[in-house]
Amino acid sequence: MNNVIIEAQNLNKSFGDFQAVENLNLKINRGEVFGFLGPNGAGKTTSINMMVGLLHPTSGQVFIDGNEVQQIEKGTIGICPQELVLWDYLTCRESLMLMGEMYEVPGDKLKIKVDKLLDGLFLTEKANTVVSQLSGGMKRRLNLALALVHEPEIVVLDEPSEGLDPQSRRVLWNYIRSLRDDDGKTVILTTHLMDEADRLSDRIAIIDHGKLLRLDTPSNLKKETGEGDVIEMKISNPEKNQEIISAVGKMEEVESVLEVDGQINIRALDAVSKLPMIMDELEHLRVRVVDLSVRQNTLEDVFIDLTGTGLRE
Amino acid sequence: MKFISIAKKDFKELIRDCRGLVMILLFPMFFMLVFGFAFGGMGQSNQPHNLAVVNYDEGATMPITGEKVNFGNNLTKILEDSEYEDSDIHLFNVTLTTESDADKKLKGRDVDAALIIPENYSQSMIALITSIMQQPISTGTLTSQESPNTTSTLIIRGDTGYVGFGTSQGILTGVLEQYQDTLVTQTRNAVTGSSGVETKQYIQRKVEAVSGTGSFTTFDMLAPGMMVFAILLLTTTVATALTREVEKGTLTRLKLSNMTSFDLLFGGLLPWSLIAAVQVVILLIVAVLIGFHWQGGLNTLILALFVGIIGGISSISLGMIIAAFARNESQAGNLGTLISVPTSFLVGAFFQLPQVVIANVWGQPFQIYDLLPWTHILNALRSTLTFGGGWDTIAYNVGWAALLTVVLFIIGVVLFSRNRLRAEN
Repeated sequence: MNNVIIEAQNLNKSFGDFQAVENLNLKINRGEVFGFLGPNGAGKTTSINMMVGLLHPTSGQVFIDGNEVQQIEKGTIGICPQELVLWDYLTCRESLMLMGEMYEVPGDKLKIKVDKLLDGLFLTEKANTVVSQLSGGMKRRLNLALALVHEPEIVVLDEPSEGLDPQSRRVLWNYIRSLRDDDGKTVILTTHLMDEADRLSDRIAIIDHGKLLRLDTPSNLKKETGEGDVIEMKISNPEKNQEIISAVGKMEEVESVLEVDGQINIRALDAVSKLPMIMDELEHLRVRVVDLSVRQNTLEDVFIDLTGTGLRE
Repeated sequence: MKFISIAKKDFKELIRDCRGLVMILLFPMFFMLVFGFAFGGMGQSNQPHNLAVVNYDEGATMPITGEKVNFGNNLTKILEDSEYEDSDIHLFNVTLTTESDADKKLKGRDVDAALIIPENYSQSMIALITSIMQQPISTGTLTSQESPNTTSTLIIRGDTGYVGFGTSQGILTGVLEQYQDTLVTQTRNAVTGSSGVETKQYIQRKVEAVSGTGSFTTFDMLAPGMMVFAILLLTTTVATALTREVEKGTLTRLKLSNMTSFDLLFGGLLPWSLIAAVQVVILLIVAVLIGFHWQGGLNTLILALFVGIIGGISSISLGMIIAAFARNESQAGNLGTLISVPTSFLVGAFFQLPQVVIANVWGQPFQIYDLLPWTHILNALRSTLTFGGGWDTIAYNVGWAALLTVVLFIIGVVLFSRNRLRAEN
């Protein structure tokens, strides 16, 4: 069996003058959780929609298991959209049964599957409650269940934990992991939550302005941007930030220096041992440190490093 | 049988959305009630017409007997006493009043017409009688000098653009002519001493109502129109429901599944047609309660239901066409209203539009409005509910309605599938 389940070749999509996706090439492996990371409006949803056949690309092709996406059997893919896509006047069970019937899941098998989903996503108690009376978290979980009722091989989750409380998020994350580990599904996850991408994904594609910037495992990505830790510091006179950045940047021991939200982020291996040296340099420049902390390098640093700090809409 | 699942889903959504359902069912009912109260009594033949009489007649003295007479009072009495043929209902509700008050009443439509009797009315009537009396003894050269040359003019006044005036003045003219004729004949007979020859014996006039329409009111013609209006309003509801499915993304969910356009649209037809049928029943009940003269029995109801369902499918198809283009739910609602309300006027749900014949089909004139299936639906509903006609009387209309509905449905399915059920570009 071919290990690659989805392959996008030279995918382009433009809406008028706006190039939403530019020359996207990627391969997604069977049974992995593949994270799509990017700021708002980076082209994540557009890319996903093309990859599952909901949107025609302007040019390029998508192959699912070697077949063109438009030719594949319906039901290969299950999509959990970013918005809540539910029928307000149907109950949880009715919604799931409807989708199962639409995918032609045999009746007896469908009933078992629906019960299992309701149970797995903690919705059994609300099985016969109409959707309009569910809480936000329950609606999110039902939104996910609807994408899974026909047991698709590929599950696409578009920002699944948007607006969820930490408890619900935990339930969701565990469920996503079980999809991969227990059911062997391929999961495509789009998110702008670094934590989510980091914890769940086997590999991450970082996309911005419609272009694929990086594609690797979370640990490799973190390594690539700079191994080690991050020193975050605030100085009493921020107008000297640039002076410090250029001075510290010249130090051999330092991997990179960046200004983020008025504070200086210095990345260095074994940062704690480099701290005295950096402090010496600051003293030399006659600046006073107001706040200082040392933390581990995160995916967010990689992300900000690649996509910048400009606000996106 | 995925369309059955869709039908069940649509049905559940319909009945659980109580507010929406009440709106769909109550709105046309409200119209029916308003029209029932407004036009319930209008057009019925045994209805007295309101007439104001302004009598200026000063009276006169009969030439031979010297008897004091007032033909104005006489005429008023006759107008008050006149009754419909074979009925004890009066032709007129007479109000004796002044000219200025009569004008006021006409403007307020408190009366349908006013009759103004001039001051020399009696004198002119005597002049007429005198001239007749002189006829037999004259040598054939009746000159105006021989009789008192007095003419008078009876004025019938009213709003000429008002239907009530048209009817009243027609009847009034008839009564006046008859009064004058009778007077002339009687005088002539008195003079010649024989019954003479009456023109009436040779030529008689009789106004006859179309069989069964004798007791019809305007509302009887309007009630089926209200049903068609209600059926047409389904367009808006269907367009919004389908657009909601698009807007909320549930259609995308369904699109990814094995559901076909047929499943979605045919499945949707079932509950919506049911609503159309329910509309017909509810509106018929309301109409009957407020005075609709329902002809025929249960069989006409069954025919009406059948016709209503065809009309419903037409509206659903139109709803699909709108949903194929509307960007969001509120736009679909607005577009639906903007299209369905003028359409209900075009098909004649409220009043008949001027004839615009564009062709002749099987010897029947085909009007431009006949291109709309609801025109035939309305004709069929009227034929069966108002006139009590059976299948044979509505077959032609049902045939056209069905044919046009199929055309509209195909257009709806094609457009909706093309715009909404394929992958986007």
